[in-house]
Amino acid sequence: MGPVIEARGLTHAYPDGTTAIQDVTVSIDEGERVAVIGANGSGKSTLQLALGGLVEPTAGTVRYFDETTDAEAVRDRLGVLLQDPDDYLFNTTVREDLEYGPAQLGMSREAATQRVAHVAAELGLDTLLDRPPFRLSGGEKQRAAVASVLAFEPDVLLLDEPFGAVDAHYRDRILKLVTDHEGTVVLFTPSLDVVADVADRVIVVGPDGSIAADGSVRDVLTDSTLLQANGLRPPATVTLFEGILDADDVPLTVSDARAYLLDELG
Amino acid sequence: MTGVVGRSVESITGALRTVFTAEQVASADGLLQRRDPRVAVCSVAGLALAVMITRTIAVTLCFGAVTVILARLSAVPLRRLLARSLAVPLVSAVIVLPQVVVLPGDTLVRAFGLSVTVDGVAYVVLFTLRVGVGVALLSLIVMTTPFSAVIAAMRELHVPVALVWVIAVTYRYLFLFFDELQRLVLARNSRTTGRSSLRGGWRDAKRLVGTFLLRTLDRGERVGRAMQARGGARPPSPYSRSRTVDRGDYALVALAVIAVVGSGVIRWGL
Repeated sequence: MGPVIEARGLTHAYPDGTTAIQDVTVSIDEGERVAVIGANGSGKSTLQLALGGLVEPTAGTVRYFDETTDAEAVRDRLGVLLQDPDDYLFNTTVREDLEYGPAQLGMSREAATQRVAHVAAELGLDTLLDRPPFRLSGGEKQRAAVASVLAFEPDVLLLDEPFGAVDAHYRDRILKLVTDHEGTVVLFTPSLDVVADVADRVIVVGPDGSIAADGSVRDVLTDSTLLQANGLRPPATVTLFEGILDADDVPLTVSDARAYLLDELG
Repeated sequence: MTGVVGRSVESITGALRTVFTAEQVASADGLLQRRDPRVAVCSVAGLALAVMITRTIAVTLCFGAVTVILARLSAVPLRRLLARSLAVPLVSAVIVLPQVVVLPGDTLVRAFGLSVTVDGVAYVVLFTLRVGVGVALLSLIVMTTPFSAVIAAMRELHVPVALVWVIAVTYRYLFLFFDELQRLVLARNSRTTGRSSLRGGWRDAKRLVGTFLLRTLDRGERVGRAMQARGGARPPSPYSRSRTVDRGDYALVALAVIAVVGSGVIRWGL
């Protein structure tokens, strides 16, 4: 399977001179599950925008599906969820927001209606569809924003902190929708506790906006030195079992830790 | 900012938000809501055109009555329609007010060495009425038809894409603009204790202006990206809500045509 996104020497500096990302070279293959982690202000969101073709990089190129460098040509295959749901919800009702992407990207009305109904039901939005977005709570807005990206069934999901303000119940629902997604998933997050549930590869963005590490979930999440050097903290389960178990045996998720403890306790 | 300025911002933002709650009216069962969106857009725009053509106060008042009847039959609360339609004619009245002394004619009142003429007053009243009724008619479209349906209808009617684009983006950004302002005021109020004087309020408002403009630009960029991420770089193309045109639709079109022709005949003769 070829790369769906291939970035070479990607650098982006804002007009005030701040370099958000520098010399990022990364390739994401079809079907891969990748988590991009980094401390606040490390440049994760800018990297997401650059990979999604929503900011013009100062230097470097991004190639999509091994066929084009024009993101607009493949916009219907890229699902980019920005960090702030308020930016996403600019229509007069939640339903119109959910239908906006499918309509703009040429999905038939019948398919869109079906898809919108599905994601709305999955994310508990079915009773909120006719409400104006500004009347929603923070968590509801987050769910609506996630639904609006999933509504047009993109091949590649580039999600910036999709679990932001949602409660535990809907966090699990979103997690399930993301893990069930049949295409490629790239999750940008500073929260490492969800990484092992979603990804099988982790890219660490360093404080200077360059790639500090790129490896398997286990290799990265159990490397406390690497994480701390980049302003991150290992997941709670890793902290709990670090020094007690070998790095290869440390449970990365709560469910793994529970299974291990139950096994150990007989 | 807890004083007059803050309250003004809150009331302006509140008024804009009623634009959004108008979606509830749009989903109600009423005369205009039952019309094909293309017909509603064309007919109500036709009525507005007829109002713009007319130069007679009596005819303008008749169109005002038609607007009220349409609003009542479409379950639009008259108070809300009035609230939405009042600002523009009031501003227009202020702009054309000097005409009461500029236009020549019989003197109505003399004050401060200036003559207020009958023709001048009639002009200002007529102009303000025409703007008011026109705006009320256009408000009726937005209040009784979901905004995406209005945009879809305009596309189907082959209104130039650039114009539809401008209308779609302006409508969305106008709300976001005031939303940002309200957030700033709330953030400021949450860190303000006691009552501030009017002068203090204006001083704070002055400080906020720069921040507001920067934040609005930033927000605008982010919303622009969010649109682009879902195909917003392409011309607006919401799903059409058009359906088979029925007798009610034809009747509304006929009313609009009669209004335009009648207005033209009254103004220019046969």
